Amino acid sequence: MTSLKTPLHHITAPAHVTNANVIMREDPFRGHLNLRGNPQDEAFTRAVAKVLGVALPTQPNSSAEQGTTRIYWLCPNEWLLLVAADTQAQVEADLRDALAGQHVAVTDQSSGQTLVNLSGPQVDDLMMKSTVYDCHPSNLGIGKVVQTTFAKTGAIIHKCADGSFDLVIRRSFSDYFFLWLADASQEYGLRVT
Amino acid sequence: MLHIYCPYCEEMREEEEFSYSGEAHIARPLDPESLTDAEWGDYVFFRTNPRGLHHEMWNHAVGCRRYFNVTRNTHTYEIYETYKMGEQPTVTGGKS
Amino acid sequence: MSQHNRLAQGGRIDRNQPLSFTWNGKQYQGYQGDTLASAMLANGIKVVGRSFKYSRARGIFGHGAEEANALMQLGVGKETIPNPRATQIELFDGLTASATNGWPNADFDLMEWVGKIGGKMMPPGFYYKTFMWPEKMWMTYEKFIRKAAGYGKASLEADPDTYDKMNRHCDVMIVGAGPAGLAAALEAGRTGKRVILADEQNEFGGSLLASGQTINDQPAVEWAEAAAAELAAMENVICLPRTTVFGYYDHNFLGALERRTDHQGMTAQSGTRQRIHRIRAHQVVLATGAIERPLVFANNDLPGVMLSGSVATYVNRYGVVPGNRCVVMTTNDSGYQTALDIVAAGRTVVAIVDVRHNPEGRLVDAAREAGITVKPGHAIIEAKGNKQVTDAMVAPIDIEGDKVTGQPMSMSCDLIAVAGGWSPVVHLSCHTGSRPQWNDEVAAFVPGPTLQQQHLAGAIDGEYSTAGALTAGAQMGAKAAASEVHNQYDCGDESICPAQAMYLVPHTKPVSRAPKQFVDFQNDVTAAGIELANREGFESIEHVKRYTAMGFGTDQGKTGNINGMAITAKNLGKTIAETGTTIFRPAYTPVTFGAIGGRDIGELLDPARHTAMHSWHLDNGALFENVGQWKRPWYYPKAGESMQQTLNRECMAVRRSVGMVDASTLGKIDIQGKDAREFLNRVYTNAFSKLAPGKCRYGLMLKEDGMVFDDGVTACLGDNHFLMTTTTGGAAGVMSWLEMWLQTEWPELEVYLTSVTDHWATCSFSGPNARKVLEKLCDDVDLSAEAFKFMDWREGTVAGIKARIFRISFTGELAYEVNVPANQGLHMWQQIMAAGEEFDITPYGTETMHVLRAEKGYIIVGQDTDGSLTPQDCGMHWVVGKNKEFSFLGKRSFTRPDTSRDDRKHLVGLKPTDPTVVIPEGSQIVADPTQPIPMDMLGHVTSSYWSECLGHGIALGTVKAGHHKTGDTVYFPLADGRVLAAEICSPVFYDPKGERHHD
Ligand SMILES: [Zn+2]
Repeated sequence: MTSLKTPLHHITAPAHVTNANVIMREDPFRGHLNLRGNPQDEAFTRAVAKVLGVALPTQPNSSAEQGTTRIYWLCPNEWLLLVAADTQAQVEADLRDALAGQHVAVTDQSSGQTLVNLSGPQVDDLMMKSTVYDCHPSNLGIGKVVQTTFAKTGAIIHKCADGSFDLVIRRSFSDYFFLWLADASQEYGLRVT
Repeated sequence: MLHIYCPYCEEMREEEEFSYSGEAHIARPLDPESLTDAEWGDYVFFRTNPRGLHHEMWNHAVGCRRYFNVTRNTHTYEIYETYKMGEQPTVTGGKS
Repeated sequence: MSQHNRLAQGGRIDRNQPLSFTWNGKQYQGYQGDTLASAMLANGIKVVGRSFKYSRARGIFGHGAEEANALMQLGVGKETIPNPRATQIELFDGLTASATNGWPNADFDLMEWVGKIGGKMMPPGFYYKTFMWPEKMWMTYEKFIRKAAGYGKASLEADPDTYDKMNRHCDVMIVGAGPAGLAAALEAGRTGKRVILADEQNEFGGSLLASGQTINDQPAVEWAEAAAAELAAMENVICLPRTTVFGYYDHNFLGALERRTDHQGMTAQSGTRQRIHRIRAHQVVLATGAIERPLVFANNDLPGVMLSGSVATYVNRYGVVPGNRCVVMTTNDSGYQTALDIVAAGRTVVAIVDVRHNPEGRLVDAAREAGITVKPGHAIIEAKGNKQVTDAMVAPIDIEGDKVTGQPMSMSCDLIAVAGGWSPVVHLSCHTGSRPQWNDEVAAFVPGPTLQQQHLAGAIDGEYSTAGALTAGAQMGAKAAASEVHNQYDCGDESICPAQAMYLVPHTKPVSRAPKQFVDFQNDVTAAGIELANREGFESIEHVKRYTAMGFGTDQGKTGNINGMAITAKNLGKTIAETGTTIFRPAYTPVTFGAIGGRDIGELLDPARHTAMHSWHLDNGALFENVGQWKRPWYYPKAGESMQQTLNRECMAVRRSVGMVDASTLGKIDIQGKDAREFLNRVYTNAFSKLAPGKCRYGLMLKEDGMVFDDGVTACLGDNHFLMTTTTGGAAGVMSWLEMWLQTEWPELEVYLTSVTDHWATCSFSGPNARKVLEKLCDDVDLSAEAFKFMDWREGTVAGIKARIFRISFTGELAYEVNVPANQGLHMWQQIMAAGEEFDITPYGTETMHVLRAEKGYIIVGQDTDGSLTPQDCGMHWVVGKNKEFSFLGKRSFTRPDTSRDDRKHLVGLKPTDPTVVIPEGSQIVADPTQPIPMDMLGHVTSSYWSECLGHGIALGTVKAGHHKTGDTVYFPLADGRVLAAEICSPVFYDPKGERHHD
């Protein structure tokens, strides 16, 4: 669909970077659904697990993954569901069906935020510049997800199995996000893929 | 720079993630219309502002967005405990 | 130029790497490894500046952070840095520096000015006495004082360098890499814990780098090098040389300034010049050492009077002897070591003047064996010389050190090394509120009790021996890492003879008559000045400090404060412990504004939020207005148009045909749950119980004091599902306000709130032709006025995209707001613009939006309201529910006496008497402009515009009892002397019956 534009569609990568030690890759048009509900209620957790094929993570700052679906814990009654592109409407409808009558909320955020992966040999240094959260592996282990600051805005930060970071950033801050990223990674070299 | 334990995220977080929300345990009167002007004024405008031990409300604004309570020394900035909404403090009075 | 004070060998400098530098316009040479100070001393430069009050010549006095005199203006032009200490500037090739305090100079005559302010030459209390002068003169005085203070000048040009910040976290933070810090780091490092070791110098080692001692039979310097290498190889240890920990804040948070390229040149060739590390540590080991204390004697500020330990450091570390004939005055054994080092360097020690009557032991014996004259029970009571020391006046003193007991004798010399004992560097420990405590055993203030996870190791704790520092470091490093001590240290015989506490050296004349005995070099505070302050009744040490300005300089009294306190204690007949000490605040040493600013400059200062249509606005020439962090199109000028012409064109397009504004920035909150209606009833002034799906309603939100806080339209999406809009600037505040009520007061309500501001893009187009535009794009919604009424919303397909269409209006015209997921926002905007082309659809910005809504009398919360207006004050009784069951937020305050007053300020319309006039926003409103000033003020103008469609100016404003004054004329006295007039009227200037938006 040509009418779709991801928040970062217009950014231009810094020119002539021969030795990029920070690499940014946007994972555009993923389905982002915000889910609210009571994790103590088995009817809720069971119904969600059935629709998504994976149980909701209930430990603080944890995540779960199954195929193209990923779930981030956001607070004790809130999760972010990342689903395959163009499936969010179907997943939302399925969840509403399965959760009918329960005290829940499902909200589409797919256009309001985007998923960005940051990797590279000096991505840890970049993260130290960018967030007050301690992203050292001893504190932010693989699979852990936190909502925290990123420069002067916020981000959801998820540590991936390969040592890279997945960030969920808000659309309206995406130009600022890239401005910051390009500036902070200048000394390391930034490549956008 | 305070270091605050969020009882919902269950870990220490930096002050930048939080915002301060004033004195804790101030319940909204159930029937405001039955209150005298003085009583209502007390609820709306007056706070204890102690030097020393204080129960206050914070919001994990950039994190989980939950409100929670903090027992803090306003003089030394020492935080004695944080606890969830609806819970009562275990550190009270006498300590400053 | 010859470096005539440079030794042929020794020191940690590289004689194969000569570096040239310029000082005060003259070229000199130093070596790689020098500081600017050591290079200046090597070249025999004596006078480095003039003093603040008395304009006395001053020389280099210390070798590090304690230096009070050698403040430099480093570099020139945009790269210049004011006030770094020569002792902390690493020499690089091409370095240029000059004295900052060459005052008084030609364009400023000291005596003329002093005469004006009262004839006395800036006595103690000068600041206070000046403050008490006519207040308006302070600005004038201040200008001179700044200049007189002799501090350097900052460049007015933009700094070409990059500064940034990094957030670090560690288990153990160790401050200082002298013997204690290194030993602590070795212990903590071997546990695998995350360790950061920071030291302000270019290499780790601290005092060891100038020491001839051995550690476990290894020369101390070699041991330090090996320790530094071992730490550098540990992956879990971050080594930060050239990094000053300048602040210690609550909960074990520290700020450290890393100078990454300062030693390479004036500007960084690439990368970051200075970086602030914001460090959160679990445990902190302070191993900050001690600063040597000078002694207070007459003319002790002459160039050539130096700290004894600094002299030893110049000799041993830099291969520089700052003089040929030295007299050492000491209160303890350390002066002996300096004397031995000078002799070993081949220069003369005229005498060691020891204030102790019976010094004995290892070092005393060694000095005597080296043939040095020792004068026990003596003191240098006065230095003599003009611009540099030529003689030391040495006299016998009594055993208490209070009185001169015999005839002074003169000793010819060009260097006086003073060893007055050690002051632990307690500064960081004070930053979180801990008060230092006097320790009689070491005759010094040591850190007091603290709430931080803080450990002390070495000289900061009064442990001055090398083995003691190493052992304490090892213990504290292990303790901080929750481990056992691993390394043991032996430094041979370090036995010493007990020191004598001494501060002010007696003179044959009383303090008030003796030549000046300086306590604080930077502020020219003397013993006589402190005596005067005490006599004038200033007894608290904090008052003495402020009265005399002691410790106010960039050195923060590092060398002067203790002496000043001791003198005060003596004057008051108290002990130092009783008098107490002042505490120190951050920063330990000055931090550049560049580093404090970091990357918070230019476009990075504050995030700019953009809508999905931002690129279109840019491409179409919009100028932008900041609304909160959002960049909103302000107006879209065409070539040659003035702003007013643009606004007139945009306004008329909406009134006559159709215009479109990007309304994506309004806050949008998705509300779901069976109690959503009840929740809305509680937070809004009006009722939402009966709002049906497909309908919208305007709502007003109050704080509990009854004052208007936000407004917006809420749509019912389904029985248990609503979409609330908020003002652009208030969105985040409203969201957390609503969450607070749900989470803290009404957890029983089954409601979930989710911000969807960023998810939706909103194209709001209005005007008589709005329906015709929408008809071209949407064929699955009945758009007729009967089927799709004002304040309805429908789901439909617009330009092939599933959209929510709201028929709401902020302009008073027929209007639609088309909401689509923001990924399609730009596309939707373009499609509507294309469809509207035949109607000359006109994009408009916030300014036109403001004019249009003002013509309709719609308020803008935050512009027309300021937190002091109730709905009734705003004339919005219609939006306040009378029969709501729940006492909604703020309702109870309506009946408070002040809130229910009839003569409160009311929001009214103001129609200028002269129709061509636009009253300036913010103008004060009065009833009688002929009243003498101060006039009785009725209120002020909150909004004011030219209304092209009405052909006259319009304004909104608050007026006392304004609702009862319709028809009255009020006046606006302007700053330029003009007085405007207007008639109080209804705020609805245009289409008062609201026929146009209902069509
Ligand atoms: Zn939290």
